[in-house]
Amino acid sequence: MDPPPEPVSYICGDCGMENTLKPGDVIQCRECGYRILYKKRTRRIIQYEAR
Amino acid sequence: MSDSEPEAMAEADGVPSTKLPPHLELRRTRVLCKVDAPDNTDTIQYSGAYASLGHENSLRFADFCKDFRVDITRISDDDMELDMVGVDPSIANAFRRILLAELPTMAIEKVLIANNTSVVQDEVLAHRLGLIPIKVDPRLFDYLSENDTPNEKNTIVFKLHVRCEERGQRLTVKSNELMWLPKGSEFLKTSESLTSTSKPETYTSFTCSQDSMPEFAGNPIRVYPDIIISKLGFGQEIELEAHAVKGVGKTHAKWSPVATCWYRMLPEVELMEEIEGEKADVLKQKCPAKVFEIEDLADGRKRATVARPRACTLCRECIRDGEDWEKRISLRRVKNHFIFTIESTGALPPEVLFTEAVKILEDKCERVISDLS
Amino acid sequence: MEHTSFGDQRNATFSLAEEDHTLANALRFTLNQDPRVIICGYSIPHPSEARVNVRVQTTGDPAREVLKDACQDLMLMCQHIRGTFNKAVNDSRMKSPPDNDSSQGMDSD
Repeated sequence: MDPPPEPVSYICGDCGMENTLKPGDVIQCRECGYRILYKKRTRRIIQYEAR
Repeated sequence: MSDSEPEAMAEADGVPSTKLPPHLELRRTRVLCKVDAPDNTDTIQYSGAYASLGHENSLRFADFCKDFRVDITRISDDDMELDMVGVDPSIANAFRRILLAELPTMAIEKVLIANNTSVVQDEVLAHRLGLIPIKVDPRLFDYLSENDTPNEKNTIVFKLHVRCEERGQRLTVKSNELMWLPKGSEFLKTSESLTSTSKPETYTSFTCSQDSMPEFAGNPIRVYPDIIISKLGFGQEIELEAHAVKGVGKTHAKWSPVATCWYRMLPEVELMEEIEGEKADVLKQKCPAKVFEIEDLADGRKRATVARPRACTLCRECIRDGEDWEKRISLRRVKNHFIFTIESTGALPPEVLFTEAVKILEDKCERVISDLS
Repeated sequence: MEHTSFGDQRNATFSLAEEDHTLANALRFTLNQDPRVIICGYSIPHPSEARVNVRVQTTGDPAREVLKDACQDLMLMCQHIRGTFNKAVNDSRMKSPPDNDSSQGMDSD
């Protein structure tokens, strides 16, 4: 019943390349084959007090 | 009350000549620095302190005006040193405290971070941004109260968007990458109540662009350059907006208009006896601040003189070696002569800071008077 | 705000809100310099409350008037200090015209 999961983009921990992965994909960078990928940071604006 | 001859103390530094006996006059006007501790450090403020000697200790305004003196010893765009002679420490200290804690400046208070993939954490980055001095006259702005909306009269907005694009390189982000946004915030508020009819709202509500104001036309607001904010590795990015508001140093030190501001009392070094020959050499060697100099006398003898008393740091090295040295040299400080140093952070030049500080003390007095009336 | 015992104008404690040592210590000096003051002093009852209590006891004049005069004296002194300072700055500028070597690009208002 769930809607089809959206592809999520990740950043390669080695070369910085952006990778889009779907569930079941191999966790590996398409560019360099590095196996550590990081999730992208949210674009939502976070407010801090400069103190 | 004796008509004692005008003693040596009165000639120095605008200390009002009085009819107090010399030993009391010394204690009234000088701090005496002994081997173990400074002595006689308090000022005698009470007008009737010497009533039994028939001496009036109150300072009349006419006398104050006559004796008060300001000498500027050094002045540049961002720091100055002045000699302020003839005021009580309580007043000099009031100026110092006001300069440090009560003169307003503009400083970054809110940081809106859209993206930060650098190694510097968001809150650390925000704190670092807060400490950057902003070169703008705070008198052109209003305070932002709690329920105010940020507008062009109380907020300055800066944008920082940097990204390291070069593989294998480090990018150093410096404070001059902060770009002034005279039209206010560019970030849109993402609210649930956002309807298609209402126009998108930003984090500020400027009614006009700040660069249309006469003060800033052709004179963009800048921050102190060359302060390292962060270093970025390849692919790392910072995107943020920084909102500066008006504040005072007692709320947070980032609003202090001075890097530091301090005063010291004028040192006075006096040789109580002639110091000649080998002892003169020893004395000259003892002093790390090079206060003493050797004077050649006509008959080939040498004598120590006090060449640079102002340089004395009161380390007391010269009176440390036994009681006889203590007796030879008298180290003192003049109680009403202040060597005042102001180091501005760049918002306002130091001489303007000082006059503004004096005005604030005047305002405080005026407030008390009107409260009591 | 003034606190006096009933019918005694000579002795009073004034509670100044939003003030600290900056003003109180300077005021204590000008008050002490006034021959009409027998004794005066100030205290800050609690460090986290922005308030000072200034105690004034006079030889006969109302304490309120004496404190007002002390404020007036301090203000006059400040005005004189400001005038002397501005004159000294102008004089030193005359003697050595503004040097352009230090810290480029600073606007001096």
